[in-house]
Amino acid sequence: MSKEKTARDAIEGLMAGYEKLGYVSDEQIATALFLAQQLEKPLLVEGPPGVGKTELAKATAEYLGLDMIRLQCYEGLDEAKALYEWQYGKQLLYTQVLKEKLGDLMEGAATLDQSMDKLHDFEDVFFSEQFLQTRPLLEALRADDGIVLLIDEIDKSDDEFEAFLLEILSDYQISIPELGTVKAKKPPLVFLTSNNTREIGDALKRRCLHLYIPFPDAARENTILQARVPELDKSLRNNVVDFVQKLREMDLKKPPAVSETIDWARTVVLLNMDVLESDFVKNTLNVLLKFKSDIESVESELPRLMRESQNPKQQNPKQQDAKESGAAAE
Amino acid sequence: MIADFVRILRAADIRVSPAETLDAAEIFETIGFDDRSILKHALGQTLAKTEMEKQAFDEAFETYFRVPEETPPAVMPAALSEDDAGDEESGESETQSGSDEMSGEGQPQQAGEGGEGSEGGESGEAANQTLTEMLQNRDMAALQAAMQQAASQAGIADAKLFTQQGMFSRRIMEAMGLADLDARIRQMNEGGETERAEQLKQGRAQLFGAVQDFVERQIAMRTKNVGRLLREDALSRIRLSNLDKSDMKIMRELIRKLAKRLASRHSRRRKKAQRGMLDIRRTMRANVAFDGNLFNLAWRRVKVERPKLIVLCDVSGSVAAVSRFFLMFLYSLDEVMPKTRSFVFSNRAGEISDILQNDDLEAAMEAALRQYGGGSTDYGVSMMDLAAATLDSVDKKTTVMVLGDARSNYGDPGHLVLKEFYERAGRVIFLNPEPESVWDTGDSEMKKLGAYCTHKQTCNSVKHVERVLDDLLRLSS
Repeated sequence: MSKEKTARDAIEGLMAGYEKLGYVSDEQIATALFLAQQLEKPLLVEGPPGVGKTELAKATAEYLGLDMIRLQCYEGLDEAKALYEWQYGKQLLYTQVLKEKLGDLMEGAATLDQSMDKLHDFEDVFFSEQFLQTRPLLEALRADDGIVLLIDEIDKSDDEFEAFLLEILSDYQISIPELGTVKAKKPPLVFLTSNNTREIGDALKRRCLHLYIPFPDAARENTILQARVPELDKSLRNNVVDFVQKLREMDLKKPPAVSETIDWARTVVLLNMDVLESDFVKNTLNVLLKFKSDIESVESELPRLMRESQNPKQQNPKQQDAKESGAAAE
Repeated sequence: MIADFVRILRAADIRVSPAETLDAAEIFETIGFDDRSILKHALGQTLAKTEMEKQAFDEAFETYFRVPEETPPAVMPAALSEDDAGDEESGESETQSGSDEMSGEGQPQQAGEGGEGSEGGESGEAANQTLTEMLQNRDMAALQAAMQQAASQAGIADAKLFTQQGMFSRRIMEAMGLADLDARIRQMNEGGETERAEQLKQGRAQLFGAVQDFVERQIAMRTKNVGRLLREDALSRIRLSNLDKSDMKIMRELIRKLAKRLASRHSRRRKKAQRGMLDIRRTMRANVAFDGNLFNLAWRRVKVERPKLIVLCDVSGSVAAVSRFFLMFLYSLDEVMPKTRSFVFSNRAGEISDILQNDDLEAAMEAALRQYGGGSTDYGVSMMDLAAATLDSVDKKTTVMVLGDARSNYGDPGHLVLKEFYERAGRVIFLNPEPESVWDTGDSEMKKLGAYCTHKQTCNSVKHVERVLDDLLRLSS
């Protein structure tokens, strides 16, 4: 019983803490964060672009007071760029220096055998820490007091990179052939994000907790706007949120995400609008929509949309209520 | 209980690995059972890993973890009709039966593994002794518990089909001590206690209803997807010529899945990085000649070798039943190996690579069959056509594949042309829809043609296709 109490408390504490930092979470997200910390498991965050997946990791780093290392994935990313690389230049110089010093070293060695022995006695530093260039993943493992590691857009990387991540994600260690295994001093809190452009392998999924962040509902989006664009007054904010929610119901190539809503709200503030006018909406649609065909199809529907979002109370009073209570709860 | 829940999830088409089951157990420990919404989120995040799985999970979770709360009302009317005092108790009985269910549900696994006989017998007796009393006392909690226990004894966790409902209800009733109850009723009737006997009879009827309800819910929960899975599984084994039109649709879905799976498994070999880390060892070795000055840098390279594939596919009358399947196969091949050149023939061969690449499956199939299909087979001429079109480009990296029944209407089977391919190509594969036992009967020229093949194999079900494709891709890398 007490266990359950603490879990619930901890999760609510997390939600409150994140909200102070301007990240509006919900129970689902907070539960995932709680579990990720409790079970020391990586968290795979999926969802459409712009719902705050990367933001979540940033907010976590801020919340926990940890540094964040970000690894942006792309096609062709390999371990040389993600994990470590040898400093070839230095290594080349080293061999040059070694050659010059070789005479001194070999002094006193009469025969070839003796010089070979001397050479063997000589410490091999060619593959050693001195020539190691660390990259994000290795840095994350070497961090002394924990770190937030964000592996962004894992779906953009190749399959083999995914496979290569498995060791890090399950045991928080990596093997470097020349040096041996590097184990994390303190397991980093790992976030992986994915836009689902390709299916992530089962092996990777199995090792992670899986959090799906959908587009927020009106109430949550309203709260987010309030936290992010406090200058926007309440009725206008309701209008903005309503309009965006309407847009998402339409059949668009890329429906506007939260980040676009925020941008748009900023635009509204910047242009000192008091009400949402058709002309203004028409001119600023490009903030919300990123495809020409989308903009065109919305423009033709604009009068209807405007009418509906201007009178949201008649359209769906329930939604409006939820919003108000959501706002009041703050 | 976790194991049972996981089983239900699997029935709902969610893939749950043993490791994830362990994670789930850990979650139960950290979070506990009492906070349902958090538990649901937490379990959802560990067990369901795609959007579709999430939906299925939500449903399964709601059904599974509500069962204990919902069940009592089904039996309750009996209690309320005569015994109002039971009201307060019933609240308790809910939670109690809930926990009973949890412990009870864990049992089938153990029972299934061993000691089922002895255990089952003992607890069966225990139930026996009380069923009559329970009914007389209207002890709902005990009845519930007995029902749960009986259900796990009856092996309800293995229920697969709706038609098993009657059987399971009967089994549960028997495990709860139906025989004894009947005997008691008879006894009472004979002893003149007709009123009590009547009461018991009523109780029995109600209990039977409750058990049926319970079984129905349980089975519904467990079998949601089994039907479809069974069907898909059966389809993938079935002989292709026996498929009817309605099955074609599911079949297509299957083939598409298959192609996608293979593609994702093998596509990454295509795009290996050309240049990555410096290969120190090779650099050193290469530069020994320059007195140790590192002059030529050698980079770690991955050789990428894509096979070329030439497919000749029979669409003549003799294989009409399976030619659609062949085309589907070609189509999926094309998705997996973009460098495929596809030819179809009945009396003359023609290339359909473009059609396959540009149209969707249905349209491509129609077009191919309209243009080339239906005629009488002529392997000789077709092979010649194929040779004219492709023989120059055939080299050791090429795989030549022939799909057909090798029945050439007693004409020239074209084995001498195939021989030329065989000598040049890396591999020649002959896939024949007929089982090996009828090869070389009648006009089948499998012997002649088979002599110039590196592999020859029967291929008439999706299972076969999968194996062939997989082998092919593996060999080619």
